[in-house]
Amino acid sequence: MKLAISKDLTANSYIIWSELVKNMKFLMAYPVVFVFWTIFPIFWFIPFLLQGQAFVGGLQSPEFAKLAGTPNFVAFVILGGILNSYVLTSLYGVGESMRREAYRGTLDYLLSSPCNKAFILIGKAMSQSISSTLYTITQLAVCILFFGIEITLGVIMPVLLIIILLILGLYGIALMLAALSLRYKQAHDLAHTLENIFYVFSPVRYPVQSLPSWAQMVSAILPLTYALIAVRSLMLLKYNVTAVYYEILVLFIIDVVAIFLGFYLFNWMEERTKKSGTISHY
Amino acid sequence: MYSIQTVDLTKRFKKKRHRGIFGFLRRKTGREKAEAETAVTVALDHVNVKIRSGELFGLLGPNGAGKTTFVKCLSTILIPDKGTAIINGFDIREQTQMVRASLGLVIGGERTLYWKLTAKDNLMYFASLYKIPRNEAKERVNELLRLMDLSDRADERLEDYSTGMRQKIAVARALLHNPPILLLDEPTLGLDPTFSRQIRNQIKALCQEEGKTVLLATHYMKEADDLCDRVAIINDGKVVAVDAPNRLKAIIRETEVLEVGCYGPSPDIETHLRSICRNAEIVTLIQGEEAKGVPSRIKIIGGNAEENVDLAIDALRRKNVQITSVNVSMPTLEDAFIKLTGAKLTEEKE
Repeated sequence: MKLAISKDLTANSYIIWSELVKNMKFLMAYPVVFVFWTIFPIFWFIPFLLQGQAFVGGLQSPEFAKLAGTPNFVAFVILGGILNSYVLTSLYGVGESMRREAYRGTLDYLLSSPCNKAFILIGKAMSQSISSTLYTITQLAVCILFFGIEITLGVIMPVLLIIILLILGLYGIALMLAALSLRYKQAHDLAHTLENIFYVFSPVRYPVQSLPSWAQMVSAILPLTYALIAVRSLMLLKYNVTAVYYEILVLFIIDVVAIFLGFYLFNWMEERTKKSGTISHY
Repeated sequence: MYSIQTVDLTKRFKKKRHRGIFGFLRRKTGREKAEAETAVTVALDHVNVKIRSGELFGLLGPNGAGKTTFVKCLSTILIPDKGTAIINGFDIREQTQMVRASLGLVIGGERTLYWKLTAKDNLMYFASLYKIPRNEAKERVNELLRLMDLSDRADERLEDYSTGMRQKIAVARALLHNPPILLLDEPTLGLDPTFSRQIRNQIKALCQEEGKTVLLATHYMKEADDLCDRVAIINDGKVVAVDAPNRLKAIIRETEVLEVGCYGPSPDIETHLRSICRNAEIVTLIQGEEAKGVPSRIKIIGGNAEENVDLAIDALRRKNVQITSVNVSMPTLEDAFIKLTGAKLTEEKE
C-alpha cells in the first residue's frame, strides 16, 4: 500500500516536473524573451518616476501619507506593480494554457492520457511562477538600489509566504478561467476583463481608502488586496509580522476556496464540453 | 475474446445557427426555436462493433461519416450520449483511467506534437503523462526512435522534420506505454507514398508480430483492403456492414464494373448515364483532382459491361468529356462500399 502511494507520488511529481521543463523549453525557444527579462524590469519604473515627479515633485508626498501611511508614493506603486505582475502571469499563463494546447492540437492527447489533469496544470502554474519570480527579483533589486526599499532578513520570509499565498489564490482563479476557456474559448478576453478588475479594485496604484465604498466591497474579495496591504505594511511601514496576521488568514481562506472551486469548475467544464463535443474546438 | 466492444454507441451534436451580429439581443422566433430543437447532427447512431484481440480492424467511411467521433468516444475524449464501449475489459464511462492506459492513440496528424521541442523531448514528455518511470521511459524512447528509423535525428526539433517523420513520432507516441490496443485515425493522411507504405508496414507488424489489436479508421479504400482482417463500413454515423474485405467484395461478385477515366464531366453526368445504361445498378462519378492531372472516374456497376461500354463512351463524347481510359474489372472494396452506402469516397492516393 505504502509502496503504491510512493510510486504514485513519484509519477505525479514527474508529471509536474515534465510539464515545467516543457514550458521552460518553450520559453527558451524564443530568445527574444531574454531581452524582455533584462531590459523591461528597468524600463518598467520610468512611468512611476515621472508620474511621481509630475504629481508631487519627487518620490515623497505628505498628502499621500495621510491615506497610505507612507509618503513614498513611488515605492508604494512599485510594490503594487510587482505583485500585480503575478496576476498577469497567472491569468494569461495558466488561465489560457489549455486553450493554447487546443490551438497546438495537443489538448486531445492531454485529455486522453491516464494522468490527473490537475498535475499538468500545477506544472504549468509552476513554470509561470518561476519566470515571474525571476522578473520580480530583477525589479526588487532595482527597488533596493534606487528607491529606498529596505529588505531585511526578518521581512523576507513573511513576504515570501504572502507571495506564495497570493500565487495559490490566483492559480485557483486562473483554474476557473481555464475551465471557462474550455467552454467559451475566448480566454484572452476573459483574462483581460479579470486583469482589469484586479487592477481597478485592488490597491495597486492607490490605497483602498481611495475607492468608493461599493468598490471597497469588491476589493475585499480579491487576494491581491490583502497581499498588497500585508507586503506594504511589512516593507514600507516596517510593521511586525503579527500586524498582518489577519491578511494572511484571509489570504489562506481565499486560497482554499479558490483552489477548490477552480478544480471543481475545471472538472465539471471538462465533462460538459466532452458531452457537447466542443472540448477541442478553438 | 474481444478487445473492443461497443453497445449502441450514440453521439449527437447540436448544430449552432448564427442569428446575425445582434441576434443574441432579440428573442428567438417560433421557427428558430423549432429549428434549434431539431438541429442535431447524428455522428454515431447506435453503433455495435466487436473487435477481436489481435485483430486489425478497419473503419471505412468518407469524411464526416463518424470515424473520428467513434475514435474520440472510445478514447474518452468525447462522452457518448447513449450506449457505451468496453475496451480491454473496461467501460469507457466508468473506468476512464484504465481505458486510457489500455489505448495508444494516433489522431489529428502531425499538428498534435510540440514542434518547438525535439523528438526525444516530445516522447519523454508524453511518457510522463503515462506515468512511465524516467529511466524506463528513456530506454523506451530510444527503442521507439530506432524502430521509426529516427535515432540520428532524435535531438532535432520537430519543426525541422518532414510531415512523414512527424507522423512517425506520433505513432511512436502511441506505443510509448506498450498498450494492447491502438486507435489510429487516418494515420497516413497527407503522407507521400513512401512514408504511407512505411507506416502501413509498421501497423501490420504491430498487429502480426506484437499481437496488438488495431482499429484503423481510414477513408483510403486500398489501405483498408490491404491491411485489415475485417472492415466496418460506416456512413452517416451508422455501421452498414462488417466483414472481411473479400466477403464484402463478394456482395457484388457476380457483376462487372465499368470504369471510365476522364476529364471534364459535368455533375449531371450520373443522371444522364443512368438514363442511358438502364440495366446498370449503380452509376457514380468520383471527382478527381483534374487541375493536378488526376482524372475523374465514372463507375458503372452491374448490367452488361460490354453493352454499357459503347453506350457510355458515345454519351460521354456527345457531352464533350475527354476520355483517358476504359476498364472492365471485377468489383473492388470501393464498389462494395458504393453499393452498400450509395456514397463515395474521395479520390484515393497512390
